[in-house]
Amino acid sequence: MPEPIVAVDRITKRFSGHTAVDALSLSVAPGTIYGLLGPNGAGKTTAIRMIMNIIVPDEGTVRLFGAHGTGRDQSARIGFLPEERGLYPKMRVLDVLLFLAETKGVDRRSARIKATEWLERLGLADWRMRKVSDLSKGMQQKVQFISTVLHEPDLLILDEPFSGLDPVNSQVLRDTVVEWGRRGKTIVFSTHIMEHAEKLCDNVCIIARGKKLIDGPLSAVKQTHGGRHVAIAFDGSGGDSAAAAVLADRTLVAKANDYGQYAELELAPGADAQEILRRLVGAGVRLSRFEQVEPTLTKIFIDLVGPDAARAAAVPETAHA
Amino acid sequence: MRKTFAVIRREFIERVRTRWFWVGTILGPLLMAGLIGLQVLLAGRKAGDRSIAIVDATTTGFGQQLTTQLGSAIARFHVTRIPHAPSTPDSLLGEVEAKHLDGFLLISDSTLEFGTAEYRGSNVSSVADMEQLEGALRRLVFAARLERRGIDTLLVQQAEIRIRLATHKVSGRKLTGESGTQSFLTGFGMAILLFVAILIYGVNVMSSVLEEKTTKIVEVLISSLRPFELMLGKVIGAGAVGIVQLTVWIVSAKLLSGASTRLGPGGAGGFGSPGAAGGFQFPQIPTTTLIIFVLYFLLGYFLYAAIYAAVGAMSSTEAEARQAQVPVQLLLMIPYVSFFGILNDPNGSLAVWMTLIPFWSPIATPVRWGASPIPVVELVASLAILLVTVVVVTWVASRIYRVGILMTGKRPNLKELVRWVRAA
Repeated sequence: MPEPIVAVDRITKRFSGHTAVDALSLSVAPGTIYGLLGPNGAGKTTAIRMIMNIIVPDEGTVRLFGAHGTGRDQSARIGFLPEERGLYPKMRVLDVLLFLAETKGVDRRSARIKATEWLERLGLADWRMRKVSDLSKGMQQKVQFISTVLHEPDLLILDEPFSGLDPVNSQVLRDTVVEWGRRGKTIVFSTHIMEHAEKLCDNVCIIARGKKLIDGPLSAVKQTHGGRHVAIAFDGSGGDSAAAAVLADRTLVAKANDYGQYAELELAPGADAQEILRRLVGAGVRLSRFEQVEPTLTKIFIDLVGPDAARAAAVPETAHA
Repeated sequence: MRKTFAVIRREFIERVRTRWFWVGTILGPLLMAGLIGLQVLLAGRKAGDRSIAIVDATTTGFGQQLTTQLGSAIARFHVTRIPHAPSTPDSLLGEVEAKHLDGFLLISDSTLEFGTAEYRGSNVSSVADMEQLEGALRRLVFAARLERRGIDTLLVQQAEIRIRLATHKVSGRKLTGESGTQSFLTGFGMAILLFVAILIYGVNVMSSVLEEKTTKIVEVLISSLRPFELMLGKVIGAGAVGIVQLTVWIVSAKLLSGASTRLGPGGAGGFGSPGAAGGFQFPQIPTTTLIIFVLYFLLGYFLYAAIYAAVGAMSSTEAEARQAQVPVQLLLMIPYVSFFGILNDPNGSLAVWMTLIPFWSPIATPVRWGASPIPVVELVASLAILLVTVVVVTWVASRIYRVGILMTGKRPNLKELVRWVRAA
């Protein structure tokens, strides 16, 4: 196994009274798209800030690129998009990009070439001499995204990259992330929107209230929590009451959600899907659909953090250093 | 270091690009030029002729005598004598209103006895008119009183010859060619410039820090720059703008001082005649004074800029920062308002203490130097203390800055600040 790009070892951060991140460990392999998932206030931003060495963990260590030293020492290889976006409102778009590239150690000349390329690509070429404050919020987000990737970092750390973007720009950004991933770059991003994570990530880590609940490759996570769901639909020619009797058997079915067109069954522990099928057919129920389904990430997420999420939301995520 | 340079460059370029930079840079010399132009204009213009009536209620011949003498004492005053009658003042008021007369002087026997006289006119607010009138009247009454006691007129005229005290500043056992007034002006000018410059550029650093904080861009910056690099870049960048602006101002002041000497009436002696308008002249600024000025400006700027950076970092809004910087401004104001005391006694204990206390010496020392040479020991001590303070304050400020820029919410109290500074 190659050395992880990001190796976080039991980092903990406490803010007056509450623990924002509690002994969190994670490891991001090179070339993966890694989703850091969690409800509001789970400690995602705090964890990312610690990875970036913007705040120092109370306990634990962060290693980037297998090297000692902080994110700042490696800043030329890292692109960071913080949760709270911001640019200099009075500066010209191109100047902001040049300046931010300079702080990453890129010389102005090549920064100018790359910035122009990117601006053209994201449809902002006409705006490069305009003041940032003249741009719409979505355009500013794009400019900020350019500043994150301009120096062609090996590792992208994006905190809630999709928040505040309309569907079109959100798609542009998703495409860019996917393309970046194909080029062998490593991407860590946080989100509380599971659909995004489901589409993009090959690895996920779900945290709630500062603690890790599960992590690993998306397929493995789904497997661990999957295979326990069955979708069924009747062809409508009767036998509903017979079916109801089978579904009411708590040794087989833990929970049944009737969606109208079809019903989703959650198997009871130790139950076999084939047994249900046999019983239904045996009872004379006519089925138009019987399918073992993979749970969506949303489902896993809600199952895992559901009860916790509501409580944790009371704690503001923008933690105080 | 390259990253710090990027910060310096951004700070400098962005500031120079603002309208305010150009307004300030150009307006400074323009104001100076305007001031000189105005003075030249005032001096070049002959003060207007005045028609004055003397309402004579004296029983001696003094009124008659005064009328002729006043007319010859002040050439631009045309004086006519009108014997006093109960109705004259009223009718003369009509004359003044019709602008046939500028005013009238009421004299009586008590003018000689007790020195009372009254002037009513439309030009009473003209300081030059009133000073000249009163001066001439005083001299004439004085002479008349002596003559009445039988003292020879010639003797009186001789006794009247006034002393003119010429003041020349001595520095390093030689004459500097600088008059007392010029020394004062140099000191005054330096006090204003230093106070304004340190304050403006210090506040610039503060608002720049605050801008990065409120726009949240600081988080991106801090992920690639050390906080100290960022702060240093800001301080140097804003300071460089200050140097440019000050250079423009000083060079134009030098040029203008040359121009005003050529244009001004009477050249170097211009200041000798009080009451007369004009004769304003820019003092010649010796190179040593300039060096002291620049040195203390730089050190003072670094000292206050670091403090202002910390103030900006610990505030969350513009309003909060404005409030938080008041004590800093007051601290800087102390040497500014005491420049008069320093000039009055440049080697007194006030001046010496002000030279040594690092928060005050950036303004106090150049002012004091402008008035009188400072013993080398004191100057070295002053610079050494200031330099050490700059280093210490910058260190403390950078600790506060480091924590402050990522903080939002309530401004920290003193206890929390101490904790920030101590935090590893």
